[in-house]
Amino acid sequence: MTDARTLDVEVGDDRHAEAMMINMGPQHPSTHGVLRLVLELDGEVIAKAEPVIGYLHRGKEKIGENLSWHQFIPYTDRLDYLAPLANNVAYAVACEKLMGIDAPPRAQAIRVICAELARISAHLLGLGAYAMDLGAMTVFLWTFREREAIYSLIERICGARFTTSYTRIGGLERDLPEDFPAKLDAFVKEFPGRVDEYEGLLSRNKIWIRRTQGVGVITKEQALQYGLTGPNLRGSGIEFDQRKVHPYCGYEQYEFEVPIGSVGDCYDRYMCRVIEMRESARILRQALDTLPAGPILNRDSQDALKTVLPEKEKVLTNMEALIHQFMVATDSINAPVGEVYFGAENPKGELGFFLRSDGGLKADRLRIRGPSFANLQVLREVLPGHMIADVMAILGSIDFVMGECDR
Amino acid sequence: MSTLTDHGDPAAGAALHAAFPAATDEPVTWHGDVTVQVQPAHEAAVIRHAKDKLGFELFIDRFGADRGEDSEPRFDVITILCNVQTGKRLHVRTTLPALDPVCPTLVHVFRGADWFEREAWDMYGIRFEGHPDLRRILMPDIFPDFPLRKEYPVEGQGAFAAPRRAIGGNKDATDGHVAIIKTQPTEGAQ
Repeated sequence: MTDARTLDVEVGDDRHAEAMMINMGPQHPSTHGVLRLVLELDGEVIAKAEPVIGYLHRGKEKIGENLSWHQFIPYTDRLDYLAPLANNVAYAVACEKLMGIDAPPRAQAIRVICAELARISAHLLGLGAYAMDLGAMTVFLWTFREREAIYSLIERICGARFTTSYTRIGGLERDLPEDFPAKLDAFVKEFPGRVDEYEGLLSRNKIWIRRTQGVGVITKEQALQYGLTGPNLRGSGIEFDQRKVHPYCGYEQYEFEVPIGSVGDCYDRYMCRVIEMRESARILRQALDTLPAGPILNRDSQDALKTVLPEKEKVLTNMEALIHQFMVATDSINAPVGEVYFGAENPKGELGFFLRSDGGLKADRLRIRGPSFANLQVLREVLPGHMIADVMAILGSIDFVMGECDR
Repeated sequence: MSTLTDHGDPAAGAALHAAFPAATDEPVTWHGDVTVQVQPAHEAAVIRHAKDKLGFELFIDRFGADRGEDSEPRFDVITILCNVQTGKRLHVRTTLPALDPVCPTLVHVFRGADWFEREAWDMYGIRFEGHPDLRRILMPDIFPDFPLRKEYPVEGQGAFAAPRRAIGGNKDATDGHVAIIKTQPTEGAQ
């Protein structure tokens, strides 16, 4: 990149190259959704970059203030829509923190399975699309093969492939089907070999290395200043993973490594994601082997009874359960007055929910801290000085999703 | 009780209060989250102290909140910081009046606060003094209202190009001004 920065922009005599403004997006294929970049070019070199966001704004925070705690769950699917299960888990845990209840151990373990499946699926898409943006078509097709397998697993869990809405406050919507452990087992056995295949295509590929190493370096200082989280923060060499520093859903029971980058370039971020996928598979294996038996909804206390929905099968067959469901859904949730923040380690970074309750069924303020919002802001410091072709490499390595950025 | 009750750092909250006894209130711990209430004028200094002296180097979030039309002070600006060594969190909250909510910017402490402050401006009309580029970020530039204010209806107000009075503003929505500071009690709003 130093070559690009020192390019002489004079074009003979006293003529100077004129700065050119170009709009990249919101429909550019490498902007993965509706990100728009306003680039000021000095020849092929970016002089200034301004990300413009908001094209996918749907007013989720406003909607959240007008729906009951349970009704908001489907809206969380559409935040990071590549990892809806992880969003469901983050929101449910935040609500539980507010209401002071816990999910039972079996529900916690299933949530870990969900979150890690979502992580693998999101990283697969991120990796595939990233490689495709840099001209490697095969990776995309191969990662989608595994994503298809994951979607089939997710469909077994909750009946939907994409919009899962699987968690409930204090537990889960339903238990795992009987054939699920065997299916997940087959996937976990096969998956590390598949990651080897992707790595065989990319990790020591000369073109890939030259497109990614030394490109888009984010320093530690920048990462902290801009509030980067997830693989983008760890790629810059900061060891910080919610699952380690503040285990939720019983992450402390599982053994896994957190990969850290050394340079903070696109290659480091790529490598972090690849290793994270391997570690996620390790967690899946352990969660599957130690999956506890028991209920999936909290029935421990009077508070929990007033907050947590009854099991769905009972609702359909038992009048008391039907009444219970009606009471919880209409008016019995007694969220305490107060405010909490909970941030979960999602595939893209920390997805945080700040919930302020003034008592009752609805949030007074429901703030969503989307990791991509913070991650994208750093572009205006990272992009200048790079060639225009490097924009695709950097965008792909940031791995953002506009659903949670624009909310 | 939930197991997630160790996120906050009460010791850091107490240290912050000890360093700024006049500008901050006693830290409050609730369900594990530690919140320090600070006067708007001292917010940036308090957060800088937390960052430089107490190790809260990672900027997590900064956002507004509305306590309702009749509340005074009406608006909150909440900043969430994280210590990457310990993983502990610290919430810093400042309250602003209903009329002309102004808060000094944080971009000189955390450059990443830029977009978060633009969003708070966009949604609540909280003005951040000293912010280099306080424009709307999520809503269209021509949008006349501050949609997360409590009086703004969730279903919106129809096509926003139609002439009408702006909520939280005292000018007609079509006269070319987008960002209107509320300088007098709202007329004609809900």
